[in-house]
Amino acid sequence: MSSQLILSNVVSRPMRSLATALAVGVEVALILLLVGLSTGMIRENSKRMSGVGADIVLQPPNSSLVLAASTGAMSVKIADLVSGIEGVKAVAPVYLQLNTSGGLGLVWGIDQESFNGITQGFVYREGRGFQGPDDVIVDDIYADARELRLGEEITLMNRSFRIAGIVEHGKGSRLFIPLGTMQRLVGTPGQATMMMIKCHDKSDIPGVKAELEGRLKSYPIFDMSSFAAHLEEANRDFGPIKFFTRTVVFIATLIGFFIIFLSMYTAITERTHEIGILKSLGAPQGYISLLFLKEALVLGGLGFVLGLGLTFGGRFFFQLLMPTLQHQLPPEWLLYTGILALFSASLGALYPALRAARQDPIEALAYE
Amino acid sequence: MKTILESIALTKIFKTGKIEVTAVRDVSLKVPEGEFIAIMGPSGCGKSTLLHLLGGLATPTSGRVLVDGEEISSGKDAVRTDIRRRKIGFVFQRFNLLPTLSAQGNLEIAQEIHRNGSRDRQHVDEILNLLGLEKKTHHKPSELSGGEQQRLAIARAVINRPAILLADEPTGNLDTRNSMVVLKMIQELNRALSQTILMITHNPEAAGIANRLIEMRDGRIVSQQQEGEWNAAEDRMSL
Repeated sequence: MSSQLILSNVVSRPMRSLATALAVGVEVALILLLVGLSTGMIRENSKRMSGVGADIVLQPPNSSLVLAASTGAMSVKIADLVSGIEGVKAVAPVYLQLNTSGGLGLVWGIDQESFNGITQGFVYREGRGFQGPDDVIVDDIYADARELRLGEEITLMNRSFRIAGIVEHGKGSRLFIPLGTMQRLVGTPGQATMMMIKCHDKSDIPGVKAELEGRLKSYPIFDMSSFAAHLEEANRDFGPIKFFTRTVVFIATLIGFFIIFLSMYTAITERTHEIGILKSLGAPQGYISLLFLKEALVLGGLGFVLGLGLTFGGRFFFQLLMPTLQHQLPPEWLLYTGILALFSASLGALYPALRAARQDPIEALAYE
Repeated sequence: MKTILESIALTKIFKTGKIEVTAVRDVSLKVPEGEFIAIMGPSGCGKSTLLHLLGGLATPTSGRVLVDGEEISSGKDAVRTDIRRRKIGFVFQRFNLLPTLSAQGNLEIAQEIHRNGSRDRQHVDEILNLLGLEKKTHHKPSELSGGEQQRLAIARAVINRPAILLADEPTGNLDTRNSMVVLKMIQELNRALSQTILMITHNPEAAGIANRLIEMRDGRIVSQQQEGEWNAAEDRMSL
């Protein structure tokens, strides 16, 4: 019957219940959207990295797996050294640079011929490869999101580029410019931030990797299968992203806590007379506290469900507005946010519930 | 006969700043099992405070209250609550029903509290039938008339078969017709089920159905008369 009392109290005050649940829902959606977006972007980056088709990745010393934050560079001449190793089929020097013009993303500077040797070439939807130093190749998702056409000009790194080709997505970046242009723009001629290495056969990979590790001792060398996983992990654990995610989770939980606190505090004032009735019936303090805690949990649970709705709605909205943004919800975060919603709800209701339980029965019964 | 309720030199003093008001003064009272007592007196004479003390809703400044042999006047809220849960049923002037629950729900929650979670749907139905509320099972209090609400409040008070029923002006909010129905019901509970009842009333006709009349003034018991002794006997209602 106490469950019926809880439900009837939730139902008989629909606006208050809805507003409270919605606030918890916003808490849940905020966390899930943020985590989903960061996970989506990280995973999508790793997937695109794997899609290049390289078997081994070589990075310069002191470079970072958080590619956007990596500043290390190495001479492109290393490519000649690498290509001389037995088992190596192709080597492509690449220069990765963060672009902030017209959106945030990595631009890859590539030598198209060697890059094609790794990727087996782009699949062109429109146009073809670089014709000049100011050409850019964009992938179809980037082009569709911005409704770009072949020959149109776009600004990257504060410089204008002509779209020379629109290619199928999935091979490294969404934006490619000639390696020489990139080196000039960044002021590092003859340098690359990464070497993509293709072996003749998968069985050659361990041998090539061991040979590289022997010759280039301070250079981070990864086989592609572990590189993608390392990339994901490094990006997820990247300090600023981690701090930002934790801050948002904390603030969202705090919002949920205060909303439930205010809602239950108001409810208890509103229901003082009801508390007096329960006390006159002999309801112990624990029974009354639990009644309000359970009600908060119901509101928290409703909020979680609403939050899921808001998350999926928000995801649809984001993808409509920015198709390049990828949202992937790690299933464990559904559990975490569920727990957080219920935790903030019960914590928010704790003081009001205890206060309700300690009400003087006569004063409560006399409350109008 | 077994004493169900006993107060010994009960005193309650309210303090407001430096002002002290003695609401109940040195009240000693014994209520044997099955007795029906009416307490009358002018407003502010301490009737309701006495009822709250006897029911463990308030603690006395001095003195003791024993309900079925257990002391309810101790300062501990948990002890008073526990005795109230097991041994006392309340009926109030304002009905005090839970507005969001149905008639059946109001009875079931009293059972749930009394039995630490368990319910007896059959007993709920029996009580609702007995009080003529069988067709109002699923009605909320706001959908019931004043008389029906008070009948439901009485049903709730007795559903757990309390040792004593404490009624505070049970007809105070009712018209004459409904008052008569409610009084008849209370009388029936006393006669048929030997329910021990202590009722506060302003209404001499209501008091007339009791076995004993206690009159209070200025926080004290000034007179006690057994059935048939008091002058209003001829005014008794023919219920």
